[in-house]
Amino acid sequence: MAINILIVDDSGVMRSMIIKTLRMTEIPLGDIHQAGNGREGLDVLDEQWIDLAIVDINMPVMNGEEMIDRMHEDPEMKEIPVIVVSTEGSKARIERLEHKGVAFIHKPFTAEIVRDTINSILGLGENDES
Amino acid sequence: MMRAKFEEIMSQVTIETLEKLAFMFAFPGEGEEDHPRDSMVAGSVSFTGPFSGTLVMTISIEVLHELAANMLGLDDGEETTEDHRSDAFKETMNVICGNLLPPIAGDEVVFDIGVPGILSADQEMKKGAGIPDGLKPSAKVILDLDEGQCILFLFLDGEIPKDVVSQ
Repeated sequence: MAINILIVDDSGVMRSMIIKTLRMTEIPLGDIHQAGNGREGLDVLDEQWIDLAIVDINMPVMNGEEMIDRMHEDPEMKEIPVIVVSTEGSKARIERLEHKGVAFIHKPFTAEIVRDTINSILGLGENDES
Repeated sequence: MMRAKFEEIMSQVTIETLEKLAFMFAFPGEGEEDHPRDSMVAGSVSFTGPFSGTLVMTISIEVLHELAANMLGLDDGEETTEDHRSDAFKETMNVICGNLLPPIAGDEVVFDIGVPGILSADQEMKKGAGIPDGLKPSAKVILDLDEGQCILFLFLDGEIPKDVVSQ
């Protein structure tokens, strides 16, 4: 099954890096959508079928945490898995995000960390190990 | 003592960030080269929390070109745009600043990191760049890369409370 992914980050270079990294993971990719802030991200979620959202936290207009809160209030969006990709180093903030049910990837990341986190949150590859 | 610790952390974090973000390998430099003013680009990012301050980063234009191209995964010969280079530089400063503070203060405290910006030549290292007027850097690190140099300055607004410095 190909996975449709939404990447929300105000840095176009970071969005490109995440896409480049996703292509290195051998995860079956479907459509990859991009948004520059949480508001734009919610608009994409309204219009497209998305299997996974990869979201930055510090963004203008609407930050990633508010976007995640809005998703949880929407019956159509609340089940979409979310991975936060951020430089955040505070344990308290990371735990607060994890309590919202999201996975966390710290910047800078490796392709292995991205692959393992996606496999874990989507339950992929569990039968692949022998 | 504190300065040496900050410089060691800044050096390690920057080397690791450049390697992981852009596959660029930096090494502690022995001294600041005499750079023509127009051969370097400077940017800054400020932070607030248990202590506040500003990280200023200055890099050679050649390093910036390579940084942006590698972050974007461009092939040899493909050119980066001004927007790409600015975005890559700001994202790199954001990642360095975000990874610099926990080794200094521990991961129990919370910092808010501001929006990184590029400094114009006359703004560099002066008031208006988010740097307290007349303050000397609390730490300075020079790194050498194949393409040029990368110099980082950490300016702190006052003293760091002793109880927030990680042992």
